[in-house]
Amino acid sequence: MNVLTPTETEWPALRERAASWPFQAVLVANRGEIAVRVLRTVQRLGLKGIVVYHAADRGTAAVRLADEAVEITGETPVGAYLDGAQIIRVAQAAGAGAIHPGYGFLSENKGFCEAVEAAGMRFIGPTPEQIDLMGDKVRARNFVEKAGFPVAPSAIEDDDPKTFVERSRQVGAPLLIKPSAGGGGKGMRIVRDLSLLEQEIERGRSEGQRYFGDGRLYCERYIENPRHIEVQVLGDGQGGVVHVFERECSVQRRFQKIVEETPSPALDDAKRREICETAAGIARSIGYRNAGTVEFIFGQSGEFYFLEMNTRLQVEHPVTEEITGIDLVLQQLRVAAGEKLGCTQDDVKAQGHSIELRIYAEDAARGYTPTTGPILVLHPPQGEGVRWDSGVLHGGEVTSAFDPMIAKLIIRGADRAEAIARADKALKDTVLLGCKTNTAFLRRLIAHPAFIAGDVHTGFLDANPQIAAEPVLATETLQALLAAASLSTRPMRDVADAVPDMHAAMGSWRN
Amino acid sequence: MHHAFKLGDDVHNVELSRSATAYRLHLGEQRIDIDLRTGADGRAWLTLGERHVEVVIATRGDEVFVHLDGEAYALRYQHPLDRLAAAAGGNAEDRILAPMPGSIVSVAVKAGDAVSKGQTLLVMESMKMETTIAAPRDGVIAEVTYEMGQTFDRDALLIALEAQK
Repeated sequence: MNVLTPTETEWPALRERAASWPFQAVLVANRGEIAVRVLRTVQRLGLKGIVVYHAADRGTAAVRLADEAVEITGETPVGAYLDGAQIIRVAQAAGAGAIHPGYGFLSENKGFCEAVEAAGMRFIGPTPEQIDLMGDKVRARNFVEKAGFPVAPSAIEDDDPKTFVERSRQVGAPLLIKPSAGGGGKGMRIVRDLSLLEQEIERGRSEGQRYFGDGRLYCERYIENPRHIEVQVLGDGQGGVVHVFERECSVQRRFQKIVEETPSPALDDAKRREICETAAGIARSIGYRNAGTVEFIFGQSGEFYFLEMNTRLQVEHPVTEEITGIDLVLQQLRVAAGEKLGCTQDDVKAQGHSIELRIYAEDAARGYTPTTGPILVLHPPQGEGVRWDSGVLHGGEVTSAFDPMIAKLIIRGADRAEAIARADKALKDTVLLGCKTNTAFLRRLIAHPAFIAGDVHTGFLDANPQIAAEPVLATETLQALLAAASLSTRPMRDVADAVPDMHAAMGSWRN
Repeated sequence: MHHAFKLGDDVHNVELSRSATAYRLHLGEQRIDIDLRTGADGRAWLTLGERHVEVVIATRGDEVFVHLDGEAYALRYQHPLDRLAAAAGGNAEDRILAPMPGSIVSVAVKAGDAVSKGQTLLVMESMKMETTIAAPRDGVIAEVTYEMGQTFDRDALLIALEAQK
């Protein structure tokens, strides 16, 4: 049997195998589209799918789809999904043998992972040690560097304060000075001329002192207009590791991805092999178990450096599934059940192009601020190469309780041009009324010449604010909208209907 | 009779009357014969003069949502009385509305407090960012609508100031 991409006829045999796995019921400790996504594969394997939900999610697709749904409570809705102890109690009571954490919430929480295993269940994810190592950005970076993989050249003042300036100079320009205690971009300074280095270090130090009460600094190579390229990996924790190609996620707003695609238009075959093998090597060096993603920062001249490793399923995993035919959740479940990957790198093949567009409840023209509202009408797009991963239903409601992502539109095409054309049509066909979404913005974005040319970087949307701006309405459009609204507003029709036809007709003659 | 819809930040005045066969839309000096026929699954055909366009329409209260040519729009019907009050009173500054949905982190004032322009009234949280809401003018707090921890939608009334004499 082909364990990576089982055919329809091979699934019955796969279900038979799953019947002897150490778990026969899987609890999904998540919500929204990812809970639906995980439940589909769990149920397809013939396993029982259980989901937990907060009252705010009662009417959602995951709760309807699950074989069993158990309500959990918390001070806030998010708090309920972060309450590991409660979720473990529910899982045990429901007879779950394994917990799938999805992404976000408890997915990269070492303590939760340990508690699940201590309770005698399988955690569908990596080992606690792997979560711990990759969760600490500095430790992860140092580990990856020691293992011989590329990290951005840097100098940490704490390592030896006396030589900090000299070591920073060796990092080379352009470089970025950051407060060690910092975050959110505060106190960061870009140095392009090394003769200004000492002066800039002093300024950075005084800013760090002012913002964080801590003047310690570190320097790293600054990548101008970087791209975000990440590599999907799969490991079985028993020596088996493969990569499942890259995804490019350079189109971002507020450091959050909006559009992801694979293959990356920035890579040629040689560079693709190099970056994918680097990711597989990093996963191999820690004996990685589970699906994971190694993220890189990719410079305009082709240099790339390790950024971080996410030890979970990623929001944008579907594009990888679309070009390879691999069900990544199936692979997570197999590995958690103790199976070996049972394949080599050569078994992983890709074909075509896939793009994911995140449908957010937000107003791009108002600084991408979130919107809320009822979902009065929802017609998901259909057609060849169109996949709609969503947790919301017609009649549901978008609230400010959770992340504003409503759905993911995933498009597959024979090549990038076909995928973009299909994406535009699918966005146009997406009808969602009651809550403002970013679909019109996404259409402007994928029609932009730079996007079509594949020439984007993580600062692309900041550099092109006109894409987010609300375009001026054409007169014809405005007329149609006012006509539709007028005819749909009861008080207006009532007033108009109160005047007899004949009188109305005469009225217009008099004018 | 005059009606109005708010679309984005703009208010558009309209009038509607019967025509011999359906309705007539009045926009300024323009008169356009219009009609709307709804089919199955909520899709509808809108006629404007010689033009026919497919639309999907949903309403909730005073809001009308329209999907037209691949894009969704929201229009809000402006009640004549509200418009009258707004025109007469010009009291927009008395009502501090939420700039985006979120939750209350802290409230610094209570009804009856005298505040000066720029003074912090409350701190809200949205998108994991805190935003401070400050007094738009000197005045007295008439009402504080939400308590710490409560959530609200965009344009919810957060704080009202006593009207100025």
